[in-house]
Amino acid sequence: MKTAKIEISGMHCSSCASNVERSLSKVPGVKNPKISLLLKKGSVELEGNVPEEELKKAVARVGYKATKITYE
Amino acid sequence: MHEHMDHNKMRNPHNSHHHDSPVEDEEIRDWKKRLIGAWLFTIPIALLMLFERIFGMMLFGEKINTIVLLVLGFPVIFYFGWPTIKGGLRGLFTFYFNMDSLIALGTLIAYFTGLFSLFFEIQDYSGISSMIMAFFITGKYVEAMARGRASQEIKKLLELGAKKARILRGNKEIEIDISEVKIGDVIIVKPGEKIPTDGVVLKGESAVDESMISGESLPVDKLKGSNVIGATINQDGILYIKATKIGSDTFLSHIIKLVEETQSEKVPIQKLADKITSIFVPAILVLAILTFGSWIYLTKDLSRSIGVAVSVLVIACPCALGLATPTALMVGSGMGAKRGILIRKGEAIQTMKNVRIIVFDKTGTITKGKPEVRNVYTKINEKYLLEKTANLEKNSEHPIAKAIVDYVSEELKIKRFSEVKNFKTLRGRGVEGKIGSKKFVIGNRTLMKERKINLKGYEDKISDFENSGETVMIISENEKVIGIISVADAIKDDSVRAIRELKNQRYKTIMITGDNEITAKAIAKQVGISEVIANVLPENKAKEVERLQKYGMVSFVGDGINDAPALKQSNVGIAMGTGTDIAIESGDIVLTKGSLIGVVQAINLSKATFSKIKQNLFWAFGYNVLAIPIAVAGFLNPVVAEIAMALSSITVVTNANLLRSKRI
Repeated sequence: MKTAKIEISGMHCSSCASNVERSLSKVPGVKNPKISLLLKKGSVELEGNVPEEELKKAVARVGYKATKITYE
Repeated sequence: MHEHMDHNKMRNPHNSHHHDSPVEDEEIRDWKKRLIGAWLFTIPIALLMLFERIFGMMLFGEKINTIVLLVLGFPVIFYFGWPTIKGGLRGLFTFYFNMDSLIALGTLIAYFTGLFSLFFEIQDYSGISSMIMAFFITGKYVEAMARGRASQEIKKLLELGAKKARILRGNKEIEIDISEVKIGDVIIVKPGEKIPTDGVVLKGESAVDESMISGESLPVDKLKGSNVIGATINQDGILYIKATKIGSDTFLSHIIKLVEETQSEKVPIQKLADKITSIFVPAILVLAILTFGSWIYLTKDLSRSIGVAVSVLVIACPCALGLATPTALMVGSGMGAKRGILIRKGEAIQTMKNVRIIVFDKTGTITKGKPEVRNVYTKINEKYLLEKTANLEKNSEHPIAKAIVDYVSEELKIKRFSEVKNFKTLRGRGVEGKIGSKKFVIGNRTLMKERKINLKGYEDKISDFENSGETVMIISENEKVIGIISVADAIKDDSVRAIRELKNQRYKTIMITGDNEITAKAIAKQVGISEVIANVLPENKAKEVERLQKYGMVSFVGDGINDAPALKQSNVGIAMGTGTDIAIESGDIVLTKGSLIGVVQAINLSKATFSKIKQNLFWAFGYNVLAIPIAVAGFLNPVVAEIAMALSSITVVTNANLLRSKRI
């Protein structure tokens, strides 16, 4: 299982963070999203091949921007 | 940590470019610009409204007054408040509601009453809409600053690493960016500089300040072959270091990663708050509509009903609920990181308050994990005894032999030893060999029995030492006992103090070990633990913990490598590490300093953090529970409602910052 770390700009409220989590969890293959409002970043577990675009879109859908995605 | 940075900056400016965390500061700057802009337009609006209130007159005609308010208010709502309006509306349309949705709806409705009032008989709330937005922005600005303070320790941690390294390429010294350093590069570290990355000393001698990882304020001597850790500070000599770990593999990176991961950890008590937050905004929207409907139905007063509905929209504050736990956790974990306490599991903070029993592993946790000389007893010249013993033991690799050699070198300042002939290690029993014409046999009772050496005159002392848990080495010269040296695993310097403090806090302390009962009891007595479980095989430690869990929640303190199963089994596993040797995976809390006082601190910190979380949740819940009904009942002016809302978030974040004043 891969983990993607996502840095997100524009969040300023905890409901923002939980919205991002909710939106990410709807992407097929994404598990257990954890987003920290305070650090403006978070991580998701990926099952199989999830295109980076999908992650970016999921963040954009709720009004924020994924500025950087790294994998480990 | 801070002191070191400053001191490093003074002496070595190029290594510590202060790179401010850009994201955070950008956010604060942005809110500040919006704040100033919003108030620039809102203050005239407020003055106009005040005039109207106090003197019951308008500077302009009624319509013109409204138009002025609308014009002044436009930039406040649609320029300075635009991100909030945009984000809020997006939330409304996509059903990903957020707290901006409430503010956006509240201010827009209020603003549009102004437009409508030009054509219909309706109260103009447009001035109020600007004030709501201005206060909202003010609140966000103050909150962003407070959040910045909450993360200050963690930011410092991120800035701890060196930015540049001076490496040797061929015969030339060149300075490169830290990201370009490769494993195997030879790095030159001058006095006062930060060691750029983890490595091993190739050449040079120096003292290195490792307080950032070990908490030990005395510098550690480094010479050829010593391991060094990135971000520690070289004091007085030049060191040539071969890089062994770079980038995300370094010790510092591991710690940073751990601390960051903690930030998105969930504390169970937050679950309810999260649930409420997730349905909060839609619930308030429905409530606002219901309120509006009821007010219209009961009072037939459209303007009043709109005012009350707007109050309901802007007073509800899911943010305070959402910030309650993460801000406290952030301050707490930052404070911990500064002291070498890494909280890995958010849950541990909550569980810790219920822990009653603390089980300690003995070796390496309570004790230093390596033997030291305790007693020397002889009827001949002590110096002679020590010299000959060390001379022989010098040839052995056994930890006990090492302890004796170290002790003698320290006491007698002996640098050179004579040659030993026919040296032999007798596994599990001792050593023998010849110095000059004399034959020495050094070892335990078994060995002496084997060689039929009489222990006469030393028998009582041997038993004495053994009964206090020490291992006794008997030294014989030409088949005759000339003295005994006892060694034992010494307890760490602050173990006694740590156990005493835990007992004062009414914890039940238990020591568990694979050692025999006598040794175990002796150590336990020294350190002040009354209950001992001895002769436990490593694999059975977890079972013992399980058994103890029948009597209450158990925290296990161990070294993280051999004790992993017991750490996992316990309710809160505290893994002790020393230096870079930390087993990160197995503990709920990881201590990097290897000192037992860290356990006390970790417990105090967990409890303090958890009680902050509880306080914050209490404030946040209490605020909403009180404020929303008051707004529904129409007792709150929308502007006052907004101020109250902003204050509730600020209170929570500020309260989290107050955790710092707690002594742990």
